[in-house]
Amino acid sequence: MTQKSVASSVYEWVDERLGLSELVAFARHKTVPVHSQTFWYYWGGISLFLFLVQCFTGVLLLVYYRPGAEAYESVRQITFVMHFGWLIRSAHSWSANLMIFSIMVHMFSVFFMKAYRKPREFGWLSGMALLGLASVFGFSGYLLPMDELSYFATKVGLQIPVAIPFVGAAIANMLRGGPEVSEFTVQRFFALHVVVLPALFLPLLGFHLWLVQRHGNAAPPSVEALPPEQRKSMPFMPNFLRKDLAMWLISLNILALLASVFPWTLGKPFDSLAPAPAGIHPEWYFMSPFEMLKLLGFVFSGKYAEFGEIAGILLFSLGIMLWVLIPFYDTRKPTGQRARATHYFGLLAIFALLATTILGYWTIR
Amino acid sequence: MNYPFWEIPFLGSGWVIGIIAIFHVMISQFAVGGGLYLPMAERKAMRMTDPETRAAWLKQLASHSRFFLVVTAVFGTVSGVGIWFAIGLTHPEATSTLIHNFVFGWAMEWVFFLVELATVAVYYYTWDRIDPKLHLKVGWVYGVASAFTLIIINGILAFMLTPGDTWIAVAGTGQEASKFWNAFFNPTYWPSLLLRTCVCCSLAGVWALITSSRIDADKQPALKTSMVQWSVKWLVPSFVAMPFLMIWYYMMVPASQQALLTLGIDTINAGTFSAVTRMALVIIITSATIVGVAYYLAYRNPLDFNLSHAMAVLLLALIATGAGEYSREMLRKPYVIGRWMYSNGVRVPSVARINQEGYLTHSNWVWSGSDSSYSRGEAIFRGECGSCHTMDGYRPMRQLLAGRDRANIGSFVLMLHDYKPDMPYRRFMPPMVGTQQDVNDLSDYLNFQVNPPAAPRVLTAQK
Repeated sequence: MTQKSVASSVYEWVDERLGLSELVAFARHKTVPVHSQTFWYYWGGISLFLFLVQCFTGVLLLVYYRPGAEAYESVRQITFVMHFGWLIRSAHSWSANLMIFSIMVHMFSVFFMKAYRKPREFGWLSGMALLGLASVFGFSGYLLPMDELSYFATKVGLQIPVAIPFVGAAIANMLRGGPEVSEFTVQRFFALHVVVLPALFLPLLGFHLWLVQRHGNAAPPSVEALPPEQRKSMPFMPNFLRKDLAMWLISLNILALLASVFPWTLGKPFDSLAPAPAGIHPEWYFMSPFEMLKLLGFVFSGKYAEFGEIAGILLFSLGIMLWVLIPFYDTRKPTGQRARATHYFGLLAIFALLATTILGYWTIR
Repeated sequence: MNYPFWEIPFLGSGWVIGIIAIFHVMISQFAVGGGLYLPMAERKAMRMTDPETRAAWLKQLASHSRFFLVVTAVFGTVSGVGIWFAIGLTHPEATSTLIHNFVFGWAMEWVFFLVELATVAVYYYTWDRIDPKLHLKVGWVYGVASAFTLIIINGILAFMLTPGDTWIAVAGTGQEASKFWNAFFNPTYWPSLLLRTCVCCSLAGVWALITSSRIDADKQPALKTSMVQWSVKWLVPSFVAMPFLMIWYYMMVPASQQALLTLGIDTINAGTFSAVTRMALVIIITSATIVGVAYYLAYRNPLDFNLSHAMAVLLLALIATGAGEYSREMLRKPYVIGRWMYSNGVRVPSVARINQEGYLTHSNWVWSGSDSSYSRGEAIFRGECGSCHTMDGYRPMRQLLAGRDRANIGSFVLMLHDYKPDMPYRRFMPPMVGTQQDVNDLSDYLNFQVNPPAAPRVLTAQK
């Protein structure tokens, strides 16, 4: 039996049981729209790739990381003692940041292409939930090294839910495992980071990908308005897949470059009795809400301070709610018109995010 | 010291050479590879039987040679002169040694360089103006001349890493130039030459992919397919041979230098000189990606291969080349000329004398406005540390010495001065040379920078 016939026999055996041919046929028939904004379609795939890197490097880190009182020491050993431990940790940290960045780019591209409209509402909602979970991944992972910066940044971050009326303090205590950030907090964050969040994220990701396959890539309204004969498309397999994989390769190179040239370092061990060092700040993706709350704190100071905190949280929650629920009030117009108001809402959101993030970094200098 | 110190804050003078040199190497190696690529492509076109395909190939090559002329003859030339300025200012002692030893080598290189410049201009401006066979001959002359510039400069660059025992035996006697050929054909000459030749061919293929990717696949599918696939072939042999050549090169490097490659395997701790290992990783991953992209995106699917793909390959190739040059430079540490001159310009045999007489004793260029310990320390810092360290930017002293007090800084400087065989920094740092007074002066200066005295408190009554 030749090598080729062995391979085809194995394929037939598997195909008979799993129905691979149907999947291949589906992929061959699936097409992706080709237009001036096709580039933005790759960002979902890039986010997925970076998530896979997260899983791979996360499992490797899990082998040596010890949560609790030894958290700092174990990260120190990974970074400064173990062979290529620094590389795995740097790749994990950089890919986490790049993943959140690429999810954000993906979200805004979906927003401006109006890809959340019928029948893709669940795609938008599941994507938003994935971004929310990715942010919690980031917040919980940031504390795990338990160095000075992560300790104090988490301490400041956990002050935010305290402002929620009635239940705020209880929520913060539950997250911390006590009144202060301590080794119990690390234990809780660790459980959240490696068990709870993946258990929520993975099925949701599967659902999101299934929806993308079911409904396909949405074309922007300007392309949808064209007559069918003027619309261009390319087969998903092999054309789009090949380009998607090339993007993965480029992402891998950028990640390797960042991890090698700017390896993720480790600060001093935390000292809960020491004063917070100057320049404590959250990660860049939390800088915008952090700065917005800070700005509201300036507006409502003195005896209105408590009101300011509540107003800030309410305002922020309202903004997020408006953003998440956009498929339900920006529905497809029979005329095919673009809804300008939501377009400007998107531009305003980008401006607010950028402006408050830059302001945040400017003021901590 | 015989020369003034050139201080570049934040960036460091070493990086001035680094930036210009990496930029120059990317272009000059393309020039050498392109010197082979152009006549070989023209020869291939001239042998084609189909006149249409032949005409299309020649037209494409004429367009590529214009781009080639601009990149190599303009940017390559300017950056080449820039290196001379930069090394003369940054490493005058080392430059002086190289000139004294290789003056005729450089003279030969410049002759070939002039031939190269003249022929590349003739080659571009005589398309369809002279007999095609003569035009091809001009291309071959260009190719040979540019190859000889590499053959010569490679000897000088390889010498700096491995000068060889024969040259070291006469170094400092005034008879160095008598061992010109021994110094030239030094232990790393051949692996380095073959490695660079491979890089040149790869860069020629990568740059040719840029111009080939711009061919309209709808209008000229056959031309685009043949040009893209032929250009990819220029990368394949290089990437097959390079792993073996790198191993050969590695084997010829002294054991102390080989060890520098492994320092970053288990740590990224500041001051441990782990960057070479990390740069080596960058070379491996970018090279592997180029092979994958060139094969799957270009060779297998030439019609889909567009300018952005080609630019991505070029960017990766430039990163790999830059990382390679950086690693090669770093491998020389703690020397700038192996076993003869430390990276701060101090000659190895002069250490004992300077320790006896003092670092600043014979320097005509030190500012003597104030003879304080601080100003002497500053001058010593500029001379002995400034070629590799800055205060706040590249390899920043304030960060590297943070948390140390005066006594601790003093012990550290003394450790570098004593330069015992088991000192870990000995693997990549030169000794601190000078008298005990010099040690104290440098320590005082560093302490002042790292732990600046607090401003005197003004009491309320004094306001």
